Amino acid sequence: MTRSLLSAPLRTAAGLVAPALLVALWQWNSGGALGSVAIAPPSALLTAGRELVADGTLGAGVAATLARALTGFGIGAALGFLTGVAMALSSAVNRVLGPLLQALRQVPMLGWMPLIALWFGTGEGSELIVVCVASFFPTLLSTHSGLRQVESRYLEVGRIYGLDTGQRFALVQLPAALPFVLTGLNQALAFAWIATIASEILLGTGAGLGVTMQQAQMQQRLDMMLVAVIVTAFLGFAINQILLHLRRGLLRWQPDNR
Amino acid sequence: MSIDPSLRLPAETPNTPVRGELAIANLSKSFRIGGQLRPVLEGINLTLRPGEFVSIVGASGCGKSTLLRLIVGLDDDYQGEIRLDGERVATTSLDRGIVFQDHRLFPWMTLEQNIELALRNTNVPKARRAQIVAEHIALVGLEGFEKAYPHQLSGGMAQRGAIARALVTEPKLLLLDEPLGALDALTRVNVQTELQRIWMAQRSTMLMVTHDVEEALYLGDRVIVMSPNPGRIRRIVDVDLPHPRDRRSPLLHRLKDEILAELTAAPVEPGGVSDNLVRLPAREAR
Ligand SMILES: Nc1ncnc2c1ncn2[C@@H]1O[C@H](COP(=O)(O)OP(=O)(O)OP(=O)(O)O)[C@@H](O)[C@H]1O
Ligand SMILES: [Mg+2]
Repeated sequence: MTRSLLSAPLRTAAGLVAPALLVALWQWNSGGALGSVAIAPPSALLTAGRELVADGTLGAGVAATLARALTGFGIGAALGFLTGVAMALSSAVNRVLGPLLQALRQVPMLGWMPLIALWFGTGEGSELIVVCVASFFPTLLSTHSGLRQVESRYLEVGRIYGLDTGQRFALVQLPAALPFVLTGLNQALAFAWIATIASEILLGTGAGLGVTMQQAQMQQRLDMMLVAVIVTAFLGFAINQILLHLRRGLLRWQPDNR
Repeated sequence: MSIDPSLRLPAETPNTPVRGELAIANLSKSFRIGGQLRPVLEGINLTLRPGEFVSIVGASGCGKSTLLRLIVGLDDDYQGEIRLDGERVATTSLDRGIVFQDHRLFPWMTLEQNIELALRNTNVPKARRAQIVAEHIALVGLEGFEKAYPHQLSGGMAQRGAIARALVTEPKLLLLDEPLGALDALTRVNVQTELQRIWMAQRSTMLMVTHDVEEALYLGDRVIVMSPNPGRIRRIVDVDLPHPRDRRSPLLHRLKDEILAELTAAPVEPGGVSDNLVRLPAREAR
């Protein structure tokens, strides 16, 4: 009710209130008000930020992290989608792969890292694999369950009009499952982002926001670390917004997506 | 002086293809519920002449939808025979169309796309499809809503869209399962009139299930009265009136009273009166 009364700029401004308060509290606390928590004042971040931009670390880090996250997400989600489709459409594939994948998905994403490091060493390849694995499972599960839940009354309409297997998939099953698939992709992207940063911190070499965090920790540069954290949060938020926008476009046909 | 019929045939064939003759013989159907076989339809014998409009009325649960699902080919697990123009029904075919009680338009397609979908696997040339779709949208009075998604249509509009989708393939036999059940009284009367006009123009065979005895009589050349447990044909009423009909016709009113009496009468076999039977006259009383 109140929401609809606010204009768009006002609504955006409302979303900025909490971060602004946080920054204010933070600046106030850097005088030691809430005790000796190790935290740098916001003003120091500006200096650190400028420094990271000037020596190219931030630019290279953002580019490398984005590339890693999106490549890993692309590969992992594509494989997850295809596997989910194969399992939903073929009960043979489902019987063969189902139990294995159900068991594997119980391993938390971070649990894969030591194993992957052991098998593939540290560096680019391993990081990418971690991101792929993180995106794979949510996409697989949502695609599979989305396709399995397609209402039989719609499949019957497909039979009435003599749709062949390909038409049935493209015109009935996939669109009906799309809300589920997109929810899975959304989750997969969030996981991919977390996995990218985590693998950069733990396995990272070269450039990347996680690598910068790791180096900042080694050098005890709290200001530098916070810059990397803030940039990470902002980028993750932006990517998620893009996906939500895409979702709204693709699900125009749903009553609550207009 | 008589004209040899075979001489006239070729000229007529392009415009009047053979319209479906439906022949049902000794049809029975059971469902397995909790390990027990429950008969739902028993000894159904029925023949629909090509171009005939037949209505079915009967208590809830007496197997009307089951019968239509068998005829349309969504379920092939039955005893007896169902033949359309001599060919045994085993699966779905573009010769047989159906309008379900729920409209079943795909929510992810616009009205136009939904209707176009029905033409995908017909031999209507691609170039003509858009025009045919537009004609059928106009036929059910939905011009201006071509690009609307089903959730943007009212229930009655969506149901008319579903009727357009079923008509667009010009099936030899069209089955209608309470197609107007969701409509308000006024829209309902309008769509009934439209349906009668469409049927008179297309002259395909139609078989319609309804709970509304008045509707059954207004549209049907014959009205089939079914009794439940298991579903059987109890009586077939001929409605000997030309189309288009006048709703105030005394014959329709007399037949309505007769059918209602039939529906509320105690079942022939012992087993008690199902309270479903009381439902019809209650609805009619409005
Ligand atoms: N898939 C099914 N499995 C088991 N039993 C079924 C199934 N479908 C229908 N039945 C049973 O068949 C009987 C007839 O159902 P049907 O839907 O044909 O009735 P109906 O005459 O169309 O009723 P209504 O007027 O309420 O639509 C019911 O008793 C129902 O329990
Ligand atoms: Mg029914």
